[in-house]
Amino acid sequence: MNECILVVDDDPEIVGAIAITLEREGYRCLRAYNGMEALEHALDPAVRLILIDVMMPKLDGLSALIRIREKRNLPIIVLSAKSEDTDKILGLSMGADDYVTKPFNPQELAARVRSQLRRYTLLGDIHAEGRGNVIVNGRLAYDPERLTLTADGEPVKLTATETKIVDLFLRNPGRIFPAEEIYRRVWNEDAYSCENTVMVHIRRIREKIELNPKEPDYIKVVWGIGYKLEQHG
Amino acid sequence: MDTNWNSTDKIPAKALKQEAAGPELPEGAPGWEPEYYVSPGKTRRRAILSFLAFFLGISLTVGSIGSAAGRWVWQEDTAAWQNSDWQETAVFRRQVSQYLEAFLTLGAGHLLKWYDAEYGAADAYERGGSWIFSSADAPLSADTASEAPAYQDPAVGNPDYYYESDKNVLYCIHRQGRPASDLENGWYTNAEDSLLPLACKKLKTNRDYQSLPDGYNFLLVFQDGKARIWKDGVELDVYGDGIYDEASLWYVPGYENFPAGDGVSGVEVYLAVREIPVRYMQGDYAGGGTSGIPMYWLYQDLQQSRAFYHTAAVIFCAGLFLLGVWIALRKERAPADKAIAALTAHIWTEVRFLAAAGLVLYLLFGNTSRWVYISNVTQLLNTSSAWPDGLEAALGLLLGLPLSNLPALLGLIWLLWLLRNDHKHHLKSERRSLWRRFSGGLRARELKLPVQRRLYRWICIGLVLSGFPALVWLLVLTRSMGVSAYDSLFWITMVPLCLYTALLVMILRRNIAPIRDIGLLADQVEAIRDGDLETPLELPLDADLRQTAEHLNDIQAGMHKALLEQTRSERMKVELISNVSHDLKTPLTSILSYAELLRQEPLESAAADYARIIDEKAQRLKSMVQDVFEVSKAAADQLPVQLETLDFAKLLRQTLADMDEPIQKSRLTLKVDLPESPVLITADGKRLYRVFQNLIQNALQYALEGSRVYLTLTVCGGRAEAALRNTSRTELPDGVDFTARFVRGDESRTDGGSGLGLSIASSFTEACGGEFHVETVADLFTAVVRFPITPGAEPSPEAGGPA
Repeated sequence: MNECILVVDDDPEIVGAIAITLEREGYRCLRAYNGMEALEHALDPAVRLILIDVMMPKLDGLSALIRIREKRNLPIIVLSAKSEDTDKILGLSMGADDYVTKPFNPQELAARVRSQLRRYTLLGDIHAEGRGNVIVNGRLAYDPERLTLTADGEPVKLTATETKIVDLFLRNPGRIFPAEEIYRRVWNEDAYSCENTVMVHIRRIREKIELNPKEPDYIKVVWGIGYKLEQHG
Repeated sequence: MDTNWNSTDKIPAKALKQEAAGPELPEGAPGWEPEYYVSPGKTRRRAILSFLAFFLGISLTVGSIGSAAGRWVWQEDTAAWQNSDWQETAVFRRQVSQYLEAFLTLGAGHLLKWYDAEYGAADAYERGGSWIFSSADAPLSADTASEAPAYQDPAVGNPDYYYESDKNVLYCIHRQGRPASDLENGWYTNAEDSLLPLACKKLKTNRDYQSLPDGYNFLLVFQDGKARIWKDGVELDVYGDGIYDEASLWYVPGYENFPAGDGVSGVEVYLAVREIPVRYMQGDYAGGGTSGIPMYWLYQDLQQSRAFYHTAAVIFCAGLFLLGVWIALRKERAPADKAIAALTAHIWTEVRFLAAAGLVLYLLFGNTSRWVYISNVTQLLNTSSAWPDGLEAALGLLLGLPLSNLPALLGLIWLLWLLRNDHKHHLKSERRSLWRRFSGGLRARELKLPVQRRLYRWICIGLVLSGFPALVWLLVLTRSMGVSAYDSLFWITMVPLCLYTALLVMILRRNIAPIRDIGLLADQVEAIRDGDLETPLELPLDADLRQTAEHLNDIQAGMHKALLEQTRSERMKVELISNVSHDLKTPLTSILSYAELLRQEPLESAAADYARIIDEKAQRLKSMVQDVFEVSKAAADQLPVQLETLDFAKLLRQTLADMDEPIQKSRLTLKVDLPESPVLITADGKRLYRVFQNLIQNALQYALEGSRVYLTLTVCGGRAEAALRNTSRTELPDGVDFTARFVRGDESRTDGGSGLGLSIASSFTEACGGEFHVETVADLFTAVVRFPITPGAEPSPEAGGPA
């Protein structure tokens, strides 16, 4: 593959660590240490994905992101020490495809890079196939007829119960399901102290579909109310 | 029974026994108040008894003393009532001497007047003319003259007609050498032949003074210008040393300085008085009938006085006894007072004042017979301004007035007591009053207006009223007095009055500006309270409140400055936290990344271990940095929370399900008791999850291995309370605030915790509007999270936002 990835951070050690990790995964890396350099390198058509830090001298990451977006359509993952939800929402609304908070796990970062690259290459395929009834939610694509789920284009092996749960969630993105309702609809039984059972299954699904099951992006707990599937673009 | 009361171990046992035994135990037991055993019924009876003793005691003593004092003030006692023998009183002696004077006058046949004469010139006074007297020149003393009837039966024609019928006083009057047409030997007498005349004759011849008729014990014989008196057969010493003075007992002629005089020479009077006077009826009923029996009335008055004082003394003693009973039981009276106060509390204040006024009026006018006395006293006060007389009269009036109507006086005393009792038990605000209700209502309505409107209203009332006197006077002048504008009186009175009114109006008008300013000040204070710290209040330079307004402006400016500084420092604090967090995270990212890379390198066993340790510690540092960041934000009140209605019980179940793995791995048993029905509270679910995540982690980390951890959720009094209880593995130190940052159960700090778990739990709970506290009893550790129940809300399945 040898896809080229631009890594931008004002801390050279961090750039180095990310580059080493990615190069071990088989990617080629370009290094930049501030926003202006990032802009120069971003114009290189070989660059397929950008990892960019927010707080940088000369030009900060978010401004650079906006200017890159004007010229190029490619996945951009924002790296930031700011971990608040509001910072995350701000970054995503500026056009970032993913938001990773520092300190991050290099392996998880690599997985996210891989996921983003796959999605960009697959996006055309899904539309080309023209299967209108396939439900797409971020990395996930679910075919309700065949009851198959793919994450980044790769099929996810699910048990029958898990499939039912995934079916329920993907058909109703954003809706909050109390555990009792999930239990009733999936198991067709009256719900009685079902929280643990439901949670166990959700945890298993997460392990199969999430990049970091401990901080899930898709199936989330709405504390004190129920569970929901986050809607992704 | 054990008598050693000082042995401490015995007392509780004894106390129990006494309590169980109840009222039967002797009250004198040491260390125990007798009141301790009194049953409610007994308390009640004692209270009633005590109050009755108090009431009757006061009433009887005051009543008896008051009536006796009243008698003294009104001078109702005719004589010294202390004397058991009425014939030994001064009144009796006076009466006897009056009789003697009258009889001597009869005997002499013309008026003698020595009774009212001065001692020194107490000579016989003679007057020529007929001895048959009329009312105009009655031979009687001044005292009896007014009572003596002018009636004289011509058929009888006896000069002694007036005395004849009263057989309480038997008399024989004789003048030697004077022919008496109607009586043998010239006697005037009212005694039957068998009685005194015979006796008198006998006396004259025998001088046997012991043989008086039955029932009579007092004899006065006037012979040869001297009087001799026998009482119960014993002759009394009439003249003493023979000189008449103030101390002399008998006021009869015969003293050296008070001789009988020539007018009575030859007149002999024999006078006997009944031992116990009887009520003889006089023939003359038209003239008042019984007034002609002075000895009877004298006796009766004395007897009455004695009876009165005896009764009063008995009543007084009874009152004293009751007062003694009350003093013995005075502590028991309180419940009765309270009950009475509770009753009287219902009475309107106005009714009380009316009752008091009515009683005072009744006291003054209830007994109008006293008004004669009062008018006398007033007259005395007016006429004699002499020092002792005037004072005495004033004192008499002061004392006499309240004593004139004893029932009213007692009523007034008890009314005052009731008022005082009521005031003691109830606050002013608790008393019922029509006026207070009325004025309170008016005031409440007025208070709804802004302050300047209220003040302005009063000024307007003042303005209207200030013109009122001038108007009234104008009407009086023109209508009632018929004064026209041409009279000087009109101008002399109206001009100053109008000037005065104008001045008043000017002064009142002058207050309108300050009132407007007060209103502006009040509005400004309200604006500042509502958060306006920038607009100052500008009053005119010459305004009375200009300085006050400036002070207010200074305060406002100071508050504004303080607020700005506070905001700035808050912002700086948050920025600092954010920057420090960033500055820590950047190198940490490198450490973590290279530690990971290092672990991927083929290393020798020791180096691999080192790499693993670096990685582990870096991971812990990462979580600590995150915790510090959150706790700091919470401490700076900068923790964003998304409040929504959620089910507390469900949240706890979800948390437990989420943490199922570490719980299963631990050697602890989790005992969970959560209600099945939803417990709705308003909180940030994510933050609250972190609270319980931390609490459970804390329990997993610090609880004694193999012990049980209890998680309960209870709803009580509109509040949901979740409690996590566990037994600590190590001894819990005393007096440690576990919610403080970096505090841990063990001081060695070698375990894996950041020391921030409970601090996060505490600050997150409080950020969501709940209460968090930790209790430690011995090794039992309890964390409590409390939230108010959200009333009437359903959990919102669609809520939750994009997070």
